[in-house]
Amino acid sequence: MKKVPRIASLCILFAFSAASLVVAQTKGTLVFGLSGNPDTLDPQKTAGTLTFQVVKSFYDTLVEPNTDGTIVPALAESWTVSPDGLIWTFKLRRNVVFHNGQPFTSKDVRASLERIKDEATASPKRSEFAAIKEIRTPDAATVVIVLSQPYAPLLASLASGWGAILPSGLIASGHNFGAEPVGTGPFKFEKWIRDNKITMVRNDTYWMKGLPKLAKVEFQIIPERAVQVQGLSAGVIDAVEFIDPEDLPLFSSNPKVSIKKELTSLIMVMAMNCSREPLNDLRVRQAVNYAIDKQVVLDVAYGGGKVGSTFLDTGNAYYTDFSYLYPYNPDKARQLLKAAGVDTREFTITVPQNYPLHVKAAELIQQMLEKVGMHVKLQLVDWSTWLSSVYNGGNYDFTVIGHTGKLDPDGTLAGYGTGKYVKWINATAAQKIKEAAAISDFAARKKLYTEVLEIMAKEVPFVYLGTSYRYVGTRSNVVDFRMTPNLDTFDFRWTELK
Amino acid sequence: MIARRSQKIVFSLAALYLLMLVAAAIAAPLLSPYSPSEQYLDRRFHAPSLENLLGTDNLGRDILTRLLYGARSALIVGLVAVSIAFSLGGLVGLLAGMGPKHIDSVLMLLMDSLLSFPTILLAITVVSFMGYGLVQVMVALGVISSPVFARLVRAETLSVKTEGYVEAARALGTPPAKIVVKHIIPNIMGKVIVQCSLTFAQAVVIESSLSYLGVGTQPPAASWGLMLKDARNYLAQAPWMAMYPGLCLALTVLAFNIIGDSLSERFNPRLG
Repeated sequence: MKKVPRIASLCILFAFSAASLVVAQTKGTLVFGLSGNPDTLDPQKTAGTLTFQVVKSFYDTLVEPNTDGTIVPALAESWTVSPDGLIWTFKLRRNVVFHNGQPFTSKDVRASLERIKDEATASPKRSEFAAIKEIRTPDAATVVIVLSQPYAPLLASLASGWGAILPSGLIASGHNFGAEPVGTGPFKFEKWIRDNKITMVRNDTYWMKGLPKLAKVEFQIIPERAVQVQGLSAGVIDAVEFIDPEDLPLFSSNPKVSIKKELTSLIMVMAMNCSREPLNDLRVRQAVNYAIDKQVVLDVAYGGGKVGSTFLDTGNAYYTDFSYLYPYNPDKARQLLKAAGVDTREFTITVPQNYPLHVKAAELIQQMLEKVGMHVKLQLVDWSTWLSSVYNGGNYDFTVIGHTGKLDPDGTLAGYGTGKYVKWINATAAQKIKEAAAISDFAARKKLYTEVLEIMAKEVPFVYLGTSYRYVGTRSNVVDFRMTPNLDTFDFRWTELK
Repeated sequence: MIARRSQKIVFSLAALYLLMLVAAAIAAPLLSPYSPSEQYLDRRFHAPSLENLLGTDNLGRDILTRLLYGARSALIVGLVAVSIAFSLGGLVGLLAGMGPKHIDSVLMLLMDSLLSFPTILLAITVVSFMGYGLVQVMVALGVISSPVFARLVRAETLSVKTEGYVEAARALGTPPAKIVVKHIIPNIMGKVIVQCSLTFAQAVVIESSLSYLGVGTQPPAASWGLMLKDARNYLAQAPWMAMYPGLCLALTVLAFNIIGDSLSERFNPRLG
């Protein structure tokens, strides 16, 4: 007697689970494996890549980079710059509406830029907007930005994640954008369950006609790499940003997963502390450069890439190759070390232990340096120690790290030649970097930057390892998933599930 | 009888394993033609073969060699940590057991507060303060393990103190230091030795855990925990990278525990 209802309930349970499976497989929801929790969803209060990767879908910027990195109109339909480079006039797109129903006008642009310039907001990107003296709003569809001095990188800052335009009404009322973002972007924020997932749904009134195509995007927060990999191969998640090169063989026989290889905009380097004996001797820094087989480090530690020769990502429009300067040559390294009188001094490579790829690179480099007769040991530190002691404190000999690419070369180069964490002093380079930031003509800027990059290539405050590849993994039914060049953010606007 | 006999066999096997491990760790440079940190980048992820008996890892290093050198760090950490814990804890325990009541309460309160922290958490905290590395791990483990010794020594001292021969010695005017050395220490050593072997096993596991978390032995030096950490990402391609260090760790801990248990039965026959 008792058995019948039990079987019945089992049947019902089964039917329910089958139904929920069907629901989960409805087309239009893309599940994305995110490697961690963003610190906040407020684009003006962080420098964290994870935040911008998520909020890119909630917000628009006045201008944005297209697929090849050129800056094109977005919320602004067009813009002009006065001949002296001081007055920038943006014509805004009409009929754009925020997720909360408020129409988008020039007031929102002014409020957003004033918010990031405000000391109280404490944006780490605040200095990029320091040149802005005044923001005028002659009418609802025009914004005039007046600068105190010419500053070409402004356009790149406006195109970056932190240039996001927030609704002026909510800014005035002190809305918590960190927990509940509201923008004009292609997707509306739904909910964020910390350490679990972030969900967003299509903005049906998005200003780009017919976009976005997906109904919903779900970011599953999966810090463990092996779990991401298993999820992708089993089809539990549809896409991941980054597949470790060593996991690639696992997918080679899986037709349901497609892997796309692209050059990142990362600049992988081993920084050298130029204020320390004997690294202040150019010969020693040259020797270190000769001693390291950069291609091997890139291949083994970072899964391949393009060898670098100066302080810019190798795919950058401003990049010039100087790799003829210091090819791999251990014999030359030994001679130079001998000439400089380096023998028993022990060097330390300090690396952040939360980046296993940099740790692996450091292990390889340590061996290569030992082979030319240097005494080198590794020291692993946690990320906060790395930031305070190495990056801000300058307390190290060598460190291996990746610099994220920037839309404008000034974002990468500003401040070098006057110290920064490599403690490299070169007045000529510093002066040229300053001059280049004030010029908006591409050819003239490129000429100046080439001179700077040549000095940096010759004086080698770094070992320029190069720019690595990234392997984006998606299920093969995912079409047109894009990564924004130089910003490493996700663009789901064109993405479809076939 | 049969149970006794099989126990003896297990005990001998465990002792034999540990002896071999110690010998291999000491003779590591003689046993292996490779260096533990030498990378052979053309030989990455090689499966076990005649050339590399237990295979190679993600940087082409010989796994057997790294295991042998890893045994060194494990054993050294165990030895130093136990020595520190034994001396520090023993001293505190004797002071508490022999001294006046208020010293006893203060010392035990101190030790109990140390005991109230989970060992691994406390170890991570201490290492974070002192910096990462093998020496720091040894000191941290020694200090953290000392309360167990202090508690044990104190309890034993208190019970031995009331024995007739101690009372007699005291009545005869023997100075306290001499009583401790001649009567108390020899009578409590049995249990302390058992505790040593258990603490040793714990130290080996925690050293590996800390290295696995990246705060213990620093690369490129070899440690079983570090090897497991490297292996974690290659379980599908190179299972041997995880298998052998895992096996060594498990066997070593098992052996120390077996020895501890057998000794404890010998010193404390009522439980046998």
